[in-house]
Amino acid sequence: MEQILATTLRSAAPLVLVATAGVFAFRAGIFHLGLEGLMITGAFTTVAVAEATGSVELGILAAIGVCMALSAVYWWVIGPLGANVIIAGLGLTSIGLGGTAFALGAIFDRRGSLFTDVVLPRPVSGITSGPGVIVSEHSILVWLTPLIVLAAWVVLRRSRFGLRLAAAGEYPFAARTAGVNPSIMRLQALLIAGALCALGGAELSVGALHNFTENMTNGRGFIAFVAVIFGAWHPIGAAFAGLFFGFADAIGIQSQINITERVPREFVLMIPFVLTIFAVWLGGLWRRRSLEAEAGYAELREPDY
Amino acid sequence: MTGGLQRVASTILLVGVSFLLTALILWVSGYRVGDVFSGVIQGSMTATGAATSSIRWAIPLLLIGMGVVIGFRAGFFNIGGQGQFYVGACSALVVTLGWRGGPAPLVVLCGTLAAVIAGLTWSLLPGYLRVRFGTDEVLTTLMMSFIGALVLQYLTAGPLRNPSGTGQTAASERIPEAFRITDSSGVSATVLLLVGGVAVLVWLLLERTRFGLAMTLVGRNPTMARWQGVDVRRVGLVNFALSGALAGLAGAVELYGPAGRLVTGFSPEVGFTAVVVALVGLLSVGGTVVAAVFFGGLQSAILFLPIVTDLPPPALVLLHGMVAFLVTVKFRAVRLRRTGPASEAPTG
Repeated sequence: MEQILATTLRSAAPLVLVATAGVFAFRAGIFHLGLEGLMITGAFTTVAVAEATGSVELGILAAIGVCMALSAVYWWVIGPLGANVIIAGLGLTSIGLGGTAFALGAIFDRRGSLFTDVVLPRPVSGITSGPGVIVSEHSILVWLTPLIVLAAWVVLRRSRFGLRLAAAGEYPFAARTAGVNPSIMRLQALLIAGALCALGGAELSVGALHNFTENMTNGRGFIAFVAVIFGAWHPIGAAFAGLFFGFADAIGIQSQINITERVPREFVLMIPFVLTIFAVWLGGLWRRRSLEAEAGYAELREPDY
Repeated sequence: MTGGLQRVASTILLVGVSFLLTALILWVSGYRVGDVFSGVIQGSMTATGAATSSIRWAIPLLLIGMGVVIGFRAGFFNIGGQGQFYVGACSALVVTLGWRGGPAPLVVLCGTLAAVIAGLTWSLLPGYLRVRFGTDEVLTTLMMSFIGALVLQYLTAGPLRNPSGTGQTAASERIPEAFRITDSSGVSATVLLLVGGVAVLVWLLLERTRFGLAMTLVGRNPTMARWQGVDVRRVGLVNFALSGALAGLAGAVELYGPAGRLVTGFSPEVGFTAVVVALVGLLSVGGTVVAAVFFGGLQSAILFLPIVTDLPPPALVLLHGMVAFLVTVKFRAVRLRRTGPASEAPTG
């Protein structure tokens, strides 16, 4: 049981970080399907730079920089250039997945994965029995994740910036009247999201593991997006949703180890997706408005043809 | 038709820019772009079997892409083609392996029908939620897609796993040779006739029937379509059903055609690439055929390229990403959309 809880925390941390990124984007009215791409870019850049310089801090800084730059380009494409948010987001994901796998071969002449010794510090480690196992062997980013979520909550719900962001996302017309430029708000939200995705990716590669592997995010960016919806685009809600999906993942891993388990692993892995369909459906019912009716979303999602 | 021409020109330009950007990345990474280019030409057209291989990869893209065209025409972002494709292939496999003693034409027909129904069902669930409750279909089709991939993974690693198979990737048993509609090249007269027929039917439906017009109307402006007497819900349901059916059909063609068995996570990019194909084809049937052959050629080339240069397959994923990232850019938007706050009034 302790082992499952420990695995839950480790699986949940990257999900929660990326889900927080998704919340920022969602608040700005952006259906961010590029999270997966940014996350894997963050994972790769961290390992690549950490391996080259020997400094994990530099690796993370570089990852944040690269992901923010990509986010800025994404903003430019969907905002001023008027590209479709969904399609460009999926494109961004492919660029991330394809680009990192390609770069692995081009820069390090490797196929598959890249191992590194430079990893994040682990404040508590070495506990092998008792309840202490739950908090043992987690990277510093896992410990920081609750703080980041709390900070996101303060920023989104208790600050001028958060209010303006919500206005820009939900009702750009009103935001503009109040002297807020929705487009600039979207840029800021996407930049923050980019940085958070970089952290999520870094936790995956140098926090929980010691390597970068092709396609190592394995859909986590999408699950994080799902957590955003499931958590009603509230930072705390999304964090708990992420925690729950981390738990589902941990059970999946456990049942994989424990072959006698009756429920096939695939069915456990389906849980988040099935729940999400329910959540989106119920969410639409309760709110009496489809997500599509969100003005900010609609503004960016006008039919292209 | 200057508007149409403009769109064609801008799409070609955007695809060109995506290719240039990718070429730039290859060049910076130390690949000789000239070699890669000549490799692509050989691998998609001139080398032995290359043209056939291009067609083979174009077929699933075309079938799923047709579904995307139908969906997007009516304004439904049905992006779950991958999952619909998978459950289609899985159903055909279950039918075929379950009835392997049956007469070949009948088994293949039943399997194909099962595939079509499975794909249709996979698409209809999000479709129903969309038209009945207004549930966002981008998310639900995406989720159904992930679930479909897990269904495939479960079947190939569990009940239908080839017991004598070795190696790490789970794969199903092979279907008997008698049930194959092509050899491993994936191209035969039957398949070409089938795909050609489907393309013609979709074209007729979209461009020459009232129902196709109703779909386009719903896509342009659902409210106005309703005022004009279009049953938006019915149109929506049929729309989702058709998209899913085509993707399911693509799954059956893959199984009975080139694949002959299912491997977990096969063709992982085909659903997304089909969306790219449909968008590059400007959501027209003719355009989608051209785009499918083009991207099928690239797929074929990337498999051939290791012979010429050591370009890894992820480069193609990168290229697809670039095209998707840029292809919906609207040039007019840069200037004309800044007309003032009126354009930002809520539309929903």
